[in-house]
Amino acid sequence: MTNIERAMNILHYKEVDRLPAVHFGYWPELLVEWAQQGKIPQELAVGNWDGSPKDQELDKLIGWDFNWYSTKGSNNGLYPCFEKKVLEVFPDGTQRVQSNLGLIERVKPGVTSIPSEDDYLLKDREAFETLYKPKMQFTPERVNLDYYRSFNETRPKDRPVGLCLGSVLGQIRDMVSVVGLSYLMYDDDEELLADIIDTYGEMQYQCVKTILETGAKFDFAHYWEDICFKNGPLISPDRFEELCAKHYKKRNDLCHEYGIDIISLDCDGVTEKLLPVWFENGVNTMFPIEIGVWGDQFEPARKKFGKGMLGVGAMDKTALRKDKAAVDAEIERITRLAAMGGFIPCPDHRLMPGTKFELVQYYAEQIKKIRL
Amino acid sequence: MSIYLEISENLQKGKNKIVKELVQQAIDQGCPAGEILNDALMAGMNIIGEKFKNNEVYVPEVLVAARCMNTGVQLLKPLLVADGVQATGKVCIGTVQGDLHDIGKNIVKLMMEGKGLEVVDLGTDVAPETFVQAAIEQNCQVICCSALLTTTMDVMAEVVKAADAAGIRPGVKIMVGGAPITQDFCNQIGADVYTSDAASAADAAVALCQ
Repeated sequence: MTNIERAMNILHYKEVDRLPAVHFGYWPELLVEWAQQGKIPQELAVGNWDGSPKDQELDKLIGWDFNWYSTKGSNNGLYPCFEKKVLEVFPDGTQRVQSNLGLIERVKPGVTSIPSEDDYLLKDREAFETLYKPKMQFTPERVNLDYYRSFNETRPKDRPVGLCLGSVLGQIRDMVSVVGLSYLMYDDDEELLADIIDTYGEMQYQCVKTILETGAKFDFAHYWEDICFKNGPLISPDRFEELCAKHYKKRNDLCHEYGIDIISLDCDGVTEKLLPVWFENGVNTMFPIEIGVWGDQFEPARKKFGKGMLGVGAMDKTALRKDKAAVDAEIERITRLAAMGGFIPCPDHRLMPGTKFELVQYYAEQIKKIRL
Repeated sequence: MSIYLEISENLQKGKNKIVKELVQQAIDQGCPAGEILNDALMAGMNIIGEKFKNNEVYVPEVLVAARCMNTGVQLLKPLLVADGVQATGKVCIGTVQGDLHDIGKNIVKLMMEGKGLEVVDLGTDVAPETFVQAAIEQNCQVICCSALLTTTMDVMAEVVKAADAAGIRPGVKIMVGGAPITQDFCNQIGADVYTSDAASAADAAVALCQ
């Protein structure tokens, strides 16, 4: 059985020979740490991204079958994006940086983290019309047509590959910050936020459509959002439905037309309150179900939405910083989830510094022994 | 509708410009600053805080309400000082060393101010000894530590140790919060109070100051 068959069979409630060992990548600092410990070659510690050749080399070294976040897409962000520039350097080395999305953030060189937001350029309609709207238009060069015309011949044959659907709100949140999104939503200019979402959404739809029209075949489709945190969503569910639901439906309907029926969505934090909007508009696979740090859960969602709600994730990655007993306990718990069907265990986010290389190898080895 | 109710309702809706105009109007009408603060701004923030605790509103609503609160307080500050209005307690707050994230910390700060506390904001990337020094020098009753990252949360244990070493406990209480923080973690490091959301943090701080 190939890994594609394993993954797709599980998500379609069909039989499999064993569970696949699936992961969601690493914080860059962890790879540097592992290289310093002599666990992995130095060259694999830099320039690694999801599904890249280096990522696949690491898979072999560790024993993973594949990274779920192996997706292909288009240039579906701001195009051209802003020039990333350092605006200020503080005595302790901290920098104030304008990101390529126009967000002003504070960063510490060498530390990868959630953006620490300071300010943003997209504050009013004038900024939208002059700075952003021209960068949010669909143009043919956003899609590498040659690549997709030969995609079915050149794509990996033993690992699922997803079609990147972009993001309805998460990338806009990255442009205006959590605070700015809130101000736009309730006070400063409510119509402006709707215009931004609609303009960006239409461009991303056209990108997806252009890729699918080449005949390229994908195993699943995938969104990135990250619009929840510990206490729930960063937007009220009602406003989310009002502003965003139609964009999910339009993109997901298109995927269905082209035979893609597994549509996953990456959202950190506790996602419960937004799940109805996603599920009712065609998203059917929760990922990465961050149980460890934020307390997100898969079982309540399955109970609420039934077998149509699928999942990839929910393995508490913090166990991989502890010991074998913690990993065994986690494997026992997620095996029960996997036994429900329609669920693939996977660490619930990128593996973080302090994760023990041998425990990751042990986890991958053990998970592949599980036959449902 | 009284102007206090009008301010409160617009604050709850996050209408910053309207709140600014109404607070100024109340001042111009001769309303006492303490009353505008308590019966209009803080009354509105308390309602938002309760709704947030009950999952009836979400982070955006809290952020926009907090902006209104802040705008109103800025107008009232000189009058409150002149009237000799006392804070209900004094706390210092910061995001721990190595962590630059301050959205959560800022919401807690505004919620605390909404409860009448004086808050010394130490900013982000705050060293353990800075928390302790601030508590001593500014006579704070509570130190509030925030962290977003699993990689920085352990610094909170250093704050507890530094406070112990300085001999300021149990007089000064230590509160912890943030995305990866739990009650177990609070117990483990020996901090005094953990709360899971900003509104509860403000309530807890008020209780600690009494």
